[in-house]
Amino acid sequence: MEFSEHIKTANVEDVVLRQTLHPPSRGTLCVTGHHLLFSDREEGSCRQVLLLLRNIDAIEKSVENLLAYSCPFSNAGHSQRISGSSGTISIKCKDLRVLHLDIPGMEQCLNIARSIETLSCLEAVSEMYPFFYRPSNASLQDQWGLSSPEKHYSQMTELHDRWRLSTVNRHYSVCPSYPPAVIVPKNIDDAMLEKIAKFRQRGRFPVLCYYHRKNGMVIMSSSQPLTGANRKRCMEDEFLLQAVIDGSDKGYIIDTRSSQQALQARITGGGFESKSGYSSWKRLHRQMERGKALQESLIKLVEACGDESHNMDRWLSKLENSKWLSHVQTALSTAGLLAECVERDGHSVLVHGSEGTDSTLLISTLAQLIMDPCCRTLEGFLALLEREWVQAGHPFQQRCSHSAYSHARLQQESPVFLLLLDCVWQLWRQFPLALGFSEALLLRLATEAYASNYGTFLCNNQQERCVLRVKENTRCLFQALLRPRERDGYSNPLYEPTELAIWPSVHPQSLQLWRGFFLRWTPQARHLEEAQEEIRNMIIEWGKLALS
Amino acid sequence: MASPVSVYNSNALDTHISSSSRESLKMELLADVSLLPGEERIIDKETIYICPFNGAVKGKVLITNYRLYFKSVDADVVVMLDVPLGAISRVEKMGGASSRGENSYGLDITCKDMRNLRFALKQEGHSRRDIFELLFKYAFPLSHGLPLFAYVTQEKYGENGWDIYKPIEEFRRQGLPNNKWRITFINKNYELCDTYPTVLAVPFKSKEEDLRRVAAFRSKGRIPVLSWIHRENQAVIVRCSQPLVGMSGKRNKDDERYLDVIREANDSTKLTIYDARPSVNAVANKATGGGYEGDEYQSAELVFLDIQNIHVMRESLKKLKDIVYPNVEESHWLSSLESTHWLEHVKLVLSGAIQVADKVSSGNSVLVHCSDGWDRTAQLTSLAMLMLDSHYRTLRGFQVLIEKEWISFGHKFASRIGHGDKNHADQDRSPVFVQFIDCVWQMTKQFPTAFEFNERLLLTILDHLYSCCFGTFLYNCESARDQHEVRLKTVSLWSLVNSKMEMYLNPFYTPESGRVLYPVASMRHLELWVTYYIRWNPRIRQQQQSPVEQRYKELLALRDEYLKKLEELQLSDSSPSSRLANTPNTSSSTSSTPPQQYTHLQTPL
Repeated sequence: MEFSEHIKTANVEDVVLRQTLHPPSRGTLCVTGHHLLFSDREEGSCRQVLLLLRNIDAIEKSVENLLAYSCPFSNAGHSQRISGSSGTISIKCKDLRVLHLDIPGMEQCLNIARSIETLSCLEAVSEMYPFFYRPSNASLQDQWGLSSPEKHYSQMTELHDRWRLSTVNRHYSVCPSYPPAVIVPKNIDDAMLEKIAKFRQRGRFPVLCYYHRKNGMVIMSSSQPLTGANRKRCMEDEFLLQAVIDGSDKGYIIDTRSSQQALQARITGGGFESKSGYSSWKRLHRQMERGKALQESLIKLVEACGDESHNMDRWLSKLENSKWLSHVQTALSTAGLLAECVERDGHSVLVHGSEGTDSTLLISTLAQLIMDPCCRTLEGFLALLEREWVQAGHPFQQRCSHSAYSHARLQQESPVFLLLLDCVWQLWRQFPLALGFSEALLLRLATEAYASNYGTFLCNNQQERCVLRVKENTRCLFQALLRPRERDGYSNPLYEPTELAIWPSVHPQSLQLWRGFFLRWTPQARHLEEAQEEIRNMIIEWGKLALS
Repeated sequence: MASPVSVYNSNALDTHISSSSRESLKMELLADVSLLPGEERIIDKETIYICPFNGAVKGKVLITNYRLYFKSVDADVVVMLDVPLGAISRVEKMGGASSRGENSYGLDITCKDMRNLRFALKQEGHSRRDIFELLFKYAFPLSHGLPLFAYVTQEKYGENGWDIYKPIEEFRRQGLPNNKWRITFINKNYELCDTYPTVLAVPFKSKEEDLRRVAAFRSKGRIPVLSWIHRENQAVIVRCSQPLVGMSGKRNKDDERYLDVIREANDSTKLTIYDARPSVNAVANKATGGGYEGDEYQSAELVFLDIQNIHVMRESLKKLKDIVYPNVEESHWLSSLESTHWLEHVKLVLSGAIQVADKVSSGNSVLVHCSDGWDRTAQLTSLAMLMLDSHYRTLRGFQVLIEKEWISFGHKFASRIGHGDKNHADQDRSPVFVQFIDCVWQMTKQFPTAFEFNERLLLTILDHLYSCCFGTFLYNCESARDQHEVRLKTVSLWSLVNSKMEMYLNPFYTPESGRVLYPVASMRHLELWVTYYIRWNPRIRQQQQSPVEQRYKELLALRDEYLKKLEELQLSDSSPSSRLANTPNTSSSTSSTPPQQYTHLQTPL
């Protein structure tokens, strides 16, 4: 496809950009295949706004046929030239920014709007910007990704006795959403895995995601078993789980659905692990919202945050009604329960919901942050995200194609990853010393997941990335974040590693709205960002001189 | 299906309750209580503390003339309480001799600091009679002809906190007197106004007899006097009480002229009068002889700030207490919080102060009053001054601010808090000062580098607001303090604070002298001060408090080390081009940080 087909008007002069935190400015607007570029041409100013079209969630246009174009700049020279019609495009971004463009000329305005509408939601992944992004400071030969299942396995020598690395999925034929190599109990061979995969939704058979060094207990994840209405069983699946708790009296299964939902799932072919087949396993049901409910919650929250009405009465009720914070609470407390099973109760746990690609990953990630100090460093956290979200097959493409402003009909969108980042922020706030990274990192990730120069969050799983040769043709975000210059900005200056588990308080009184994200484009949030930056620089400076 | 593991988050209790060995049981339970000088044991008793978080806990309670101390005997959980008697507002008997049910007979104690305590005693033999009577006597000493504890104790500190505020020095710091403003001692015997301090700053042009005539027209003689002057534009904050307009709409030419003289002093086009009250209340006050400035004040404009009175604030905080103690509201927390209106009141106070500060920094003088000018007025002037003048954002400057705008100008601490007084239902009680400290806390949250002091200072101030251990917050006004020789016979809270300053310092403080802070007074950016209002609940307590404090202490040490090295560098290398030497305290503003800009006024008015 040629992008130029979609660009009838590439350049417009005398456009006025209005945006919070900045005074309005006049300049040239330019549309390219992937970007909207606004360059200020006021004297003495060189402001440029480069916006990834992919970041645009929704636009609203209004055109007016006016004899004289009125604008904040009553400059005689301009108003003579611009007469007739004009239009305004309001651009609402996935990072929650809102911009307004006043464009002279109705036709130009409509052309630009059309280009944005088409180019901001291109379907074909290979046409997206990461495939065109060629920064000078990095080459495509740079390492892509931080680790691989193979490397991860080889580093954890303590589990080699009982666990093996299986490459049964090397051609993505057993489970398209799993990476080519996974860790499974040693005595379960590949033939058994293939059978088990058929018994689990979309082939997501139980694999190891975390090994707790302190007591040798593990967290496994999978999708639901396909027991169906006639309560099918799978000996190999039962055998695998038995092998997981070998030597221990029992294990827990945390099902992220209510028991009612789990029962109902049998009607559509899904189900849960029955007592008879898995006698040593104890099921705990914790209902977590997913999919549409989560997306609608986000939409309500963002609507409340953006409510510019004069009177902000009932803000707290609106916040409560959005239910976002109660989703945060559920996620953190379920993760707390999971960590409690492993760390305090000393038992292994299998986590799944239905597909095992959303809430399952959410709570397993959070539990690892709670228990494992290695996950709390900047590298450790990014590696955790790479392992548990990118490689483990969270469908980023589907979940993040639209955000809270979009008017498009909801399909597979769901802000699960954003919910994760919010939960991590709550941890960060409750334990200001325990995490090695900063709020700025979480904000960056929240933006990049929806629109990015990098290939990291493209596609829904490793197989799709492999087909599109994402590794060969795009840059890796995680690598970029760890480059020395970036890294400084994303580290927590107060960081002081602790070996202890960090148990979050999950009472509603202990949870806060993540203002840094949801109210990001307000002067106050900006000011706080600056203050954090200031504190970071301060501490670095002290350290340098005092210890020199 | 019951979960075999504990319901998630029972663990937060761990920090509160540590297990102890059986060994310690044998020791005298109350032997390790360290008493203050002058503190005496009054009575101790076996009792059961009905802890809302751990259930009934067996132990021993000790009452001294200063505190109520409780320690559990149970080996599994160590529960300790150490409550200054000053924090108690009400002691009641719970249950009767014939009450049935476990632990239904005992004492029910209501505290001023957002908690209640219940103790169960043995039902037979009037076991609670003596402890009830003694507790009642020592918790409310003034109602029993006993002195407040501040007069009994004489703890020695390296610093004398009474020296922190010297009115003349503070005026001099502000650049007063000058050719427009003079210092007057007209009130040196509290004859002009018995609730004002002795030293006042008034317009240069107004004579002593003018002041007397104005005093006759202002409620309680609280005439307009200067609180603060802007160094560059000479705009002033003037405070007073309401004019005595009354139903008949009385006028007073002297008052009108006096206000015009204030306006003239820096050539403001209009003097803006901020009446803190809702306009309906101001109108209603006419019925009792008060009122507000009408059209006859031609060079003034009147703005009502809609802040509710002390009674509304008291009820609001009471509602807040209901949803956080003993149990925190779980299912509809945010809407319950909203229905207390506490944050909304905080918002109105802050946004009123923002308007005052904004007006002054743009060069216009303002006059602030409410009814008597000692509650809402004190909130508004002190918060506006905190926004305008960075000196008040230092540890010592903040003490000056409280001494000046609250203590010396007669905020009725004794009546609002009810020190040593048994009359718990007194309608004069109100958490106005607590609300002010809450507003300050909101500001420190929004400007983490702008204040030299930390949250611990604010908590310490509020603890000793009630404790009666220091003389600082005792009595309603300076004349009463003089009469009771507070400065001679009691110790100042600032003696304690300033002798361990490092505990109260914010390591990230970056002085920026010219900066005006405008907090955002929008509900979206205000937070409930959980670490104060819900601090008794061990489950909500902020995590890892002590490591954080430890880390901050280390950072303070690192900063000091840095500043020392910097000084050495400056001495050895006096070249002015050295970047470090140029930025002694604002080292942070290196290339990556954009220059600090004044935060824009963001108040939905």
